Amino acid sequence: MVSTSGRAHIDAPAPATDKDSRWLERLAPLAAVWIGLLLALGPVFATLLRSLMVDGAPDGLAFDNFTRLFADPRARQAALNTLIIGVGVTLASSLLGFMLAWIVSRTDIPGRRSFEILNLVPFFTSPYVGAMAWQYLTAPHSGILPNLARSWFGIDLSFIRINSISGVIWVLVLFYTPFIYLFVIGPMRNLNGALEDAARVHGLSFFQTMRRVTLPLLAPALLSGAIVVFVTSAGLFDVPVILATPYSIPTVPALIYESIGYPSDFGRAAALGAMMMGVIIMLVVAQRQYLGSRRFETVSGKGYSPRVTKLRPAARNAALALELVYIGCGAVLPLISIIMVSLSPLWRGYFEPSKITLANFIYVLDEFELTRGAIVNSAILSIAGASLIVALGFLQAYSLQTRKNRWANALQPLLSLPNGIPGIIFGLGILIILIRTPLYGTYWIILSAYVAHYFPFALRSIGAVLMSLSPELEQSARSSGASWLQTMRLVVIPLARPGLVATWLMVFIILVRELGSTILLYAQGTETISVAMLILSEQNFLYVAALAVVQVALLGGAFILMSRNSKSLFD
Amino acid sequence: MKALRTVLSLVCLGLAATQSHAQTPALSAATGAEKERIAGLVTEATKEGKLTYWDTVMQPATKNALQAAFVAHYGLPKNFQIEFSEIAPSNMITRLEQEAKAGRATVDAAAVASPIWVAAQARAGALMKYDSPEYANYSLVAQAGLIEPGSYAFNGAYVFVPLWDPEKLKVAGDSWNDVIAAAQEGRVSVGNGAASDATIMTYIGLRTAMGKDYVAKLAAKKPVFIPKSETIASRVVSGEDTMAFMGMPTRAYQLNAKGAKLSYLMPKEGVTLLPQNFFILANATHPAAAKLWFDFILSEQGQKIIVEKEAMISGRNHFISPIPEYAPQIDKLKLVRIDWNKMTPDDLQAARREWMDLFKQ
Repeated sequence: MVSTSGRAHIDAPAPATDKDSRWLERLAPLAAVWIGLLLALGPVFATLLRSLMVDGAPDGLAFDNFTRLFADPRARQAALNTLIIGVGVTLASSLLGFMLAWIVSRTDIPGRRSFEILNLVPFFTSPYVGAMAWQYLTAPHSGILPNLARSWFGIDLSFIRINSISGVIWVLVLFYTPFIYLFVIGPMRNLNGALEDAARVHGLSFFQTMRRVTLPLLAPALLSGAIVVFVTSAGLFDVPVILATPYSIPTVPALIYESIGYPSDFGRAAALGAMMMGVIIMLVVAQRQYLGSRRFETVSGKGYSPRVTKLRPAARNAALALELVYIGCGAVLPLISIIMVSLSPLWRGYFEPSKITLANFIYVLDEFELTRGAIVNSAILSIAGASLIVALGFLQAYSLQTRKNRWANALQPLLSLPNGIPGIIFGLGILIILIRTPLYGTYWIILSAYVAHYFPFALRSIGAVLMSLSPELEQSARSSGASWLQTMRLVVIPLARPGLVATWLMVFIILVRELGSTILLYAQGTETISVAMLILSEQNFLYVAALAVVQVALLGGAFILMSRNSKSLFD
Repeated sequence: MKALRTVLSLVCLGLAATQSHAQTPALSAATGAEKERIAGLVTEATKEGKLTYWDTVMQPATKNALQAAFVAHYGLPKNFQIEFSEIAPSNMITRLEQEAKAGRATVDAAAVASPIWVAAQARAGALMKYDSPEYANYSLVAQAGLIEPGSYAFNGAYVFVPLWDPEKLKVAGDSWNDVIAAAQEGRVSVGNGAASDATIMTYIGLRTAMGKDYVAKLAAKKPVFIPKSETIASRVVSGEDTMAFMGMPTRAYQLNAKGAKLSYLMPKEGVTLLPQNFFILANATHPAAAKLWFDFILSEQGQKIIVEKEAMISGRNHFISPIPEYAPQIDKLKLVRIDWNKMTPDDLQAARREWMDLFKQ
């Protein structure tokens, strides 16, 4: 595993009838890269420029915003807390996501097809709602679990500290593990079991095989997922704002949100955003350097099926227990808590079955006009956004892997830049650029922000998928006379389908839950579900709980419909 | 032919509008030049067809009640739209500032409890100059420096005061000192001074009335910092906190209607009034409708709806509150006098820094 891999550019002469295809082959991927650069660099430059703009400086530009930040102990503490949260969530989610993917794709535990879908349920709940749910579950003086433990078993659960950095990490791990799971399950299914068999035959133990063969082969997917988790968990403001900020635990996203408020300090907000961008550039460069020196093809032209490990009874029980604990903590308990809250006329810290009411649902779905429009808007924006992002990401990843050269290597970190900017800062950048255009106040400005902010997820995720496909497959198709379009349609896209579906699903759900940039860009008539939740949270959190139940039901329903159309979502 | 049809349609629309306005409550109550002015605005507003209004406190049900009464009052068409958004103060201010810089306008009128920012906007010419006849009914709050006639008023005001559940906590006495004595360490909440102007304004009032040492005693109670007034009150109902030091009587009114038992106190040393400043944007795209809305919100009828639905405190002279137990009359409140017009955004930031130091937030 020493040589660099990439999609080989096909120079074989194409048939004369394929002029259009040839033109598309050259133009479409390249155009996608240029569009990506334009989308990424606009808001990024707006943010960078804003971070350097200082009143009274000779050219209007200086580093004062950064020096102020470094001198502020609260900002330093926030940076440290954010780093701890980001690293903690990334490590724990990576481990858990990898284990869950391995359990459902490579072992014989009972009900693994059901677990394949159930593992994704936490993904349907927005972290904002998840944080509120865990606050209701474990709040020291009014939590459902401490109250039950006290009254039923006489047990004191006051040692649980949900309002702490570890509480934030716990909630984020539950809701970000599916990211890793989605990233690795496709490549894991496609892994050539013969490689692992060879390792075992040559005397390596199970764990040695895992460490020396399985993990390195899945490194592109795992690292891509880990970076996505690090950036999104470190950049998310809604979970810390609920669990940490009230208890004087500052984080960078919470400081950014605070800086946007009046009296606004956009320079400070932009400087914080620029620092996060710096961190993400370093991470992406490190990732590329690590991956650039290795081969990772796990899908070749040879037919094989992934090995299923027969677990011993103890290991099977442990795997089953892990699945049940994860689904219990990530889905069942939060869902029970928000359902209880949503059915209550007033929340007193415990559920009162005799007072069950549908009033919160009636208000949210019938009396509050905004909700119905918000559901439709979210569906339109998320479907259109996810489709555009996946198409763009696929073409970009293909283009960068076809043109494996210095420029391609330099472009990838640039194209990853939007990932490093928290949503609210990105939204501000888009607002500054587009406010004078006719796009302002329409769906298009939100869609532009979504595509510009989230296409790097697709680029990275699809890049990892394409990296796992052997270029020989494509070369064989072209040598056999297939045009570029035919090769894409009949070979590359079908082989990449599990990864593309997983990416689309991931982006779709991210967009349904998106709040950071939408909050500054929506106008009357373009509100999304997340905006509606925020507006409802100003009125009564019981309404938010009701809308969250509706959101989970809609996403879950869509997911079940999708999964019914295929034997396995990721096959 | 097409042009002729258009002209005829406009004439018919004008006639219909004139006829429907003839007997409306607004026109029946007005005479002379004022009647002509209202009729002119109504005709223009009918052509405009809609209005966009943002508010940081008002709930949609209140807006619906106001809209129905507004349309009936002026005889506007039934399909007249009021596009409404209830939005957090920081988001509203960011959006309005960005729109003003870009010369864009998607909002006609708005209300936010940020008098220092609103006064700065008025000075910068970002608010429409409009001499509403209703200002005459707000002379007392104008004298107190809470509004600036011709630029902005307030559609209601609120206060942040101690709020608790008497079944879980006993508070004896009527002073801020009695409150601090009853507050339990780690079980009391305050607003999020790092991000909320209303919290900092309340802090300025508390500092003025009780001194900085008093606030230090509050800080020693290790409060939690909660950003939303709804969450602040709900945490008391659930028992997570035993006291909300900066609770909103509006929330007690709304939650008690659902079965909660929240009490609150207006301490004898005085409370800080937080006026929900109400204004029309200078570049409003529906100016006539915005002016009528402004007049209506400040009218006796508009204020009655707002006070009944939101438990806000009216600034209208001699207004009789329909729910005095939650929304007392302004002249019966002991207020801490602060001239917000004389304060600058820098003063607000200095107070915020003080708060952050005191509370180590």
